[in-house]
Amino acid sequence: MSRPITAVKLVLLGEAAVGKSSLVLRFVSNDFQENKEPTIGAAFLTQRCVIGDQTIKFEIWDTAGQERFASLAPMYYRNAQCALVVYDVTKPASFIKARHWVKELHEQASPNIIIALVGNKCDLVEGEGNEQNRKVAKEEGEQLAQEENLVFFETSAKSGLNVKEVFIALGSKIPSNVQLNIQNDSATSANACNC
Amino acid sequence: MSIRRPSMAERRSSMTQEGSLRPPVVPHLAGLEKPLPETVPEACDVVIAGTGLTESILAAALAWQGSSVLHIDANDYYGDTTATLTIDQLKTWVERVNKGEIKGYQDAVLYIPRGNEFKSKDFGIDLTPKVLFCKSDLLSLLVTARVYKYLEFLPLSSFHFFENDNFEKMTSTKQDIFTNQTLSLATKRSLMKFIKFSLDWESHPDVWSPYKDASIETFLQEQFKLEKAQIFELIFSIGLCNNNETHTPEALARIKRYLISYDVYGNFPVMYSKYGGAGEISQGFCRSAAVAGATYKLNTKLVSFDPKTKIAQLSDNSCVKINEQIIISPSQAPTDSKFLSKQNYEIQRLTVIVKKDCTQWFHDNESAAVVVFPSGSLESNNKQAVQAIIMGEGSGITAKGTCVWYMSTIETGKRGRDDLEAALKAMEGSILRESSDLDTQDYFDNANGMLNSVKLGQSFKDFVPKEKIQYILKFYYIQFTSIPHAGVVNPNLYRKNSVHVEDDVDAPDRGVIYSSLPSSEISYDGIVTASKILYEKVVGSDDDFFDVDFEDDDDEGSIANNLESAIAEDDDDDEHIVEPGAAPVEFAEDMEL
Repeated sequence: MSRPITAVKLVLLGEAAVGKSSLVLRFVSNDFQENKEPTIGAAFLTQRCVIGDQTIKFEIWDTAGQERFASLAPMYYRNAQCALVVYDVTKPASFIKARHWVKELHEQASPNIIIALVGNKCDLVEGEGNEQNRKVAKEEGEQLAQEENLVFFETSAKSGLNVKEVFIALGSKIPSNVQLNIQNDSATSANACNC
Repeated sequence: MSIRRPSMAERRSSMTQEGSLRPPVVPHLAGLEKPLPETVPEACDVVIAGTGLTESILAAALAWQGSSVLHIDANDYYGDTTATLTIDQLKTWVERVNKGEIKGYQDAVLYIPRGNEFKSKDFGIDLTPKVLFCKSDLLSLLVTARVYKYLEFLPLSSFHFFENDNFEKMTSTKQDIFTNQTLSLATKRSLMKFIKFSLDWESHPDVWSPYKDASIETFLQEQFKLEKAQIFELIFSIGLCNNNETHTPEALARIKRYLISYDVYGNFPVMYSKYGGAGEISQGFCRSAAVAGATYKLNTKLVSFDPKTKIAQLSDNSCVKINEQIIISPSQAPTDSKFLSKQNYEIQRLTVIVKKDCTQWFHDNESAAVVVFPSGSLESNNKQAVQAIIMGEGSGITAKGTCVWYMSTIETGKRGRDDLEAALKAMEGSILRESSDLDTQDYFDNANGMLNSVKLGQSFKDFVPKEKIQYILKFYYIQFTSIPHAGVVNPNLYRKNSVHVEDDVDAPDRGVIYSSLPSSEISYDGIVTASKILYEKVVGSDDDFFDVDFEDDDDEGSIANNLESAIAEDDDDDEHIVEPGAAPVEFAEDMEL
């Protein structure tokens, strides 16, 4: 193996039907740099991507519907290094929910989790006459991202707009020696990092 | 019995070609195929109440088999009777037990001294602490079901037993036996002979069958001429038996369990899951069930079930039509339930968190140990053993510089509590002697720099420590169960209450199947069996219990027979666990999405 591979646990959060899974499926099924074909195991989706001089292996955890009745287990957040908080630019309620998830992440997840705020379904507001479909201004997203120190993108899982950019942005924020990082920040053990 | 439904794989693949590879299993991807409903389903095949480990394994098995499962829990956390709780959750739990709101428990006492610097979330206390044997049905299932991917396992190799006011080191391996200078040559030979026999005891009934109703102690004395010290070690530490009267075949099976588990993944017989034991594993199986389409709803309990209409009424005011069965943990039985089976067996537990790291008891870089107090070893002259699991900060369940001591006994009434207190006192004395800074010379044996607890205990036997142990928490409770101590799980424990359908029309639990409360067993043994029995009650047979071909996202495609990467650091490919002898995993390289 030529490069070190860093396994990174990424969790997905967002209101139902904002396109969380579509976003991930677009990411893992697109021919993406030197990646292999995506595979779906029983546990979670994985996708490798090469960023700079390291290979990041994203282990992407879907909520599997457990968030529906506020029944996400602590296990979901445990050792997550990245989170994708997704809302739908045509649904204001989903943006309110996104704020809630960011707050939840600050409470439940490790303190230096890298969070991306993603306004999805951009394709619905593009083109002539469609601008009125937009219900969440780009500035609102940007402002929240700035307040909470989040990575921010508006995407379209349908067209593929900005999808890989989100993951690259997240991946490039991962310190190259993740193991060291984990040792420093958590009250857990020296051989953590089976994330 | 119910009609067999197509499995997940069969149902999800619309293009099952004949003669080709079996279709790969595609997990449920929430929100993709269809928006999820905001309310609980109006109908489902199975309702399960309680997210304890047995029920969670059952939920996952049923969901992957193709049943539509609604899994609820009255609590606002996962795990139920096998939960891992924060201090705040523990406080609530104790209050509820003492109000009689959680069936199967009583006399809970929680003592938390004021003024410590810790946060509630720094701790994860297991209600049912357990260790996982490296060769066991649960371990195989974790691998088959891929649930191990959600978890992290750590090794545990230190088994101590307490005798003559001392912690003795175990002589459990052949190496130990050879190098142990306190053993006579004759004893070494007898021990070796016994170990060889025990690895294959089932095929030598000529040796043990005359003793099948006799105690293991008698058997070891008469057949193998072993001395008391070795016998006690075999019975209590290796066999983890509750007393020396355990019948020979049962004890032999338990001794063998330890010996065959040793060296499977390294120089240790058991492992434990980081961040919490059964509570963590329950969450893993619940996630697996959710991935296969099960619906989860916490804070919800069963109010009543009508076996004629097959409608269950839930505490969130919803009504669910159940096509098949409803399975309930006794801890979540509806108010005024009438058909809960007798919980005849008692377990007493005492859990403390001390402000000491207790690394003296751990082997090398490990963070846990098992300590056993055999019959008659304590000041209280205990009849039953007290078993203890010790977990330090590396276990992820306790704050830096602290340690959790989980103690339990099957002794009943006041005696049980006295035994637990005596064991606590013995451990306290021992850790103070061993951690005192009086004279470090005496603490290390020159040969390997490791702590020699035998020597230490002897030289400081009358040492009265000035220091006192600081407790962060002390937590005692009694639990009941229908599973006999050290017994096999009996299918009759899970009899459906259908015989009562005609009478007691007011009972809210007619026609439900109760699962069982956790047994006194310190390992996970018996849990998979219980889940399988319940599974069979629903599906008709356990033939296809987790009979799923999962794809593996492993690039290299090689499957190594080791678990090293999963229990040690992540060395970039942690999906190589496969049970030796397991059916080969099918890999599907390409996936149509």
